[in-house]
Amino acid sequence: MRRAALTVAAAIAAGVLAACTACGGGAATPANLISVSNGGCGSSWHLAGPGWYTFDVYNAAAESGEVDLVDPANGAIYAEVNGLGPGTSSPMRLDVGSGSYAFRCLFDDYDPMTGPTVVVGGHVSGTPAILPITSNDLYGPAKEYHAYVAAGLNTLVSQTGVVAADIRAGNLGAARTAWLPAHLTYERLGAAYDAFGNFDDEIDGRPDGLVGGIDSPRWTGFYRLEYGLWHGQGVPELTAVADTLDADVRALNASWPSTEINLLDIGLRTHEILENALEFQLTGHDDYGSGTTLATTQANITGTLELLTVLHPLLAPRYPGLPAVYTWLGRLSSLLNNNRGPNGQWIPVSQLSVSSGEQIDAACSQALEVLAPIAAITEPRIT
Amino acid sequence: MPDPQSPESGKSETGQPDSPPVPQRRAFLRGALSAGAAGAAGAVAGVAGGYAYRASRPVPAGQVALENSQAGVLPPVPFHGRYQAGILPQSQRQTAVIAFNATAEGRGELTELFQTITARARFLTEGGTPPPVGIGGPPSDSGILGPTVVPDGLTVTVGVGSTLFDDRYGLAGRLPARLTPMLPFPNDDLDPAQSGGDLVVQLSAGNTDAVLHALRDIARHTRGGMQVLWRIDGFSSPPRPAGTVPRNMLGFMDGIANPDTTDQAEMDSLVWIQPNTAGEPAWTAGGSYLVVRLIRMFVEFWDRVDITEQENMIGRRRPTGYPLDASSIFATPDYALDPTGEAIPLNAHIRLANPRTPQTASSRILRRAYNYDRGVDQVGDLDIGLVFTCFQQDIKRQFEAVQARLDGLSPVDGESGPEPLVDYISPFGGGYFLALPGVVDSTDYLGRALLA
Repeated sequence: MRRAALTVAAAIAAGVLAACTACGGGAATPANLISVSNGGCGSSWHLAGPGWYTFDVYNAAAESGEVDLVDPANGAIYAEVNGLGPGTSSPMRLDVGSGSYAFRCLFDDYDPMTGPTVVVGGHVSGTPAILPITSNDLYGPAKEYHAYVAAGLNTLVSQTGVVAADIRAGNLGAARTAWLPAHLTYERLGAAYDAFGNFDDEIDGRPDGLVGGIDSPRWTGFYRLEYGLWHGQGVPELTAVADTLDADVRALNASWPSTEINLLDIGLRTHEILENALEFQLTGHDDYGSGTTLATTQANITGTLELLTVLHPLLAPRYPGLPAVYTWLGRLSSLLNNNRGPNGQWIPVSQLSVSSGEQIDAACSQALEVLAPIAAITEPRIT
Repeated sequence: MPDPQSPESGKSETGQPDSPPVPQRRAFLRGALSAGAAGAAGAVAGVAGGYAYRASRPVPAGQVALENSQAGVLPPVPFHGRYQAGILPQSQRQTAVIAFNATAEGRGELTELFQTITARARFLTEGGTPPPVGIGGPPSDSGILGPTVVPDGLTVTVGVGSTLFDDRYGLAGRLPARLTPMLPFPNDDLDPAQSGGDLVVQLSAGNTDAVLHALRDIARHTRGGMQVLWRIDGFSSPPRPAGTVPRNMLGFMDGIANPDTTDQAEMDSLVWIQPNTAGEPAWTAGGSYLVVRLIRMFVEFWDRVDITEQENMIGRRRPTGYPLDASSIFATPDYALDPTGEAIPLNAHIRLANPRTPQTASSRILRRAYNYDRGVDQVGDLDIGLVFTCFQQDIKRQFEAVQARLDGLSPVDGESGPEPLVDYISPFGGGYFLALPGVVDSTDYLGRALLA
């Protein structure tokens, strides 16, 4: 393995590279090879002009590293290769436009290195460079979201307390009424489920995957309670379920101040909350009797919007698709509200007209498409 | 919907640093060679995947196309043209028919929807390298065809259903004269969840991965604009034995007697909607009506039927495809010599479908059938059958006239069916559509004349 910095040539060998790619060989032509190590980072290379390039980035160092192609003026990233093992290579594809380009190498035990800059003149647009977001950038949003969840959990504790009290008093009608606002409060916290750890399964778990399914004694939480309340189960059985839920929510609330939100999750959840809504709510999968999965979807939109609010200062300068995100979330929210019953009650997905169902599914799916880039953009990066 | 990531597929062809995809080149060369080897049939321009346009006369080019499709290297079918490119070619190995309902809000979004479908179809049929996105999002392509999208002979055929012309988009005044909902025939059992649709998209290619890649790509770029109503996948079998015609799941060769797609006059009289057709809005010229029928075949029942009875129901020999009164596949049955049905029963499928009389010549259709296979029913019988598609100038004059004869609504030679075959099949879905006129160049888009 070579440890010295290697020279790098750019990039023009029409046909040759594609031929090699097609024939499945790992070796790139020397002209497209970008070799990096802890002694040098693409030390000599050039670009013939704008166009599509595929570099073969080769790690000649003895440890894994990350290689970015950046605008050296501000550190904005055009393309990246993560976790490049020693002695391995990976293709890096990009559409080179007018601008400044340099490779930057990040090896664990070394300071970041930036190789020589290559400038492409003119006014050709290519793959845009995006300013990386660091862990530091995400602490503020995470703290704001943490506070949002704390407030939600405070509300939730009192709401599940009411449900449990109604059931203990034998007032199942009141319990059914009180169940929905409590569940929706929980469903608005969508970004934090991973941070909740086992609490999420206990509070909002499904019977899927449990031996015995709906009869499993291990099935607890909101859906378990919904199933019982809407399937004629008796007060003694439901009292146990409601008390467990109440206790779990209190325990979660008590543990929350010392719980951290994974910084990576903040961006990921911007689309994952509604991915779950599409999979489990808009299909009716998670309707265990109350017919309120459209309300749950609405609560999930609220949780998503809160994430967008805390991330907004980071996203606005980086993501041109952000206005479309608000457009489609707004359309989805309106469609959900417009499809309530004559007294404002929620209706089960199965009772939607074909066209209403299609419009809701289309809006949710389009919202997801425009939400998806946020996770990539907000992934915490080292600079 | 507008897509900030839409690729510029031509980019790799302009002398840029990345080379054009080599497999495509090689495939094109191979297609050209095979066309040459096929002689006259190969001289037809725009032949899909080396298939000859002459649907009813398999030639060696078809064999080469078969090999190319197995290797996944069918050449691109040119997307631009006066007509949509997927209409005339023989059935490809794989197809998917997907009906959508439009969810676009208003004419503007609907126009964007058709523009987006067009842009995706243009890229997918030509092939190329999807655009890199840097750190700005997930990959722009599903990757299931590898880093370079190969065309694999893909055709994308788009049609519109009568429901698109309701009050949502202000198109009521542009309804094609012969476009109606598909109403049930006496032996139909239509499932509303598998019938109709505002739009239909048929994707055909040499291999299933290319079809699914195209479907995922188009759906990904149009999520807000349309939603899938129903979908069925189909396949066309290799001709067995080689040099014959692909068989359906009843074991019989299917689509032997098709109009000659190399005969422009015949296509103009049977398939393409002509300019200035009485009653037709001008925008329909160059389009063609598409009928899709999803037909379950009760193959277990069929397999318990004696071969003579099977052959009498169809009117052909099962092993050879010969009409029962002749000794070659493409022989024309002589019904005048057989007025009482001694050789070919009066209610045989081929006799009712195409009585071969001057009076019925104008009811002929361009038939493009695929087999489907999707699991089992409640009693454990296989749910397999036919994705029947056909193109024509006038649904009432053509498909409905044929179907009326088969269903016994319109007697032939005094025989008033229905054909006995109806006991073994059950049409359960599909719809009537108008396959749009072609996209003539890079500035045009599907439905432009309709939406303008």
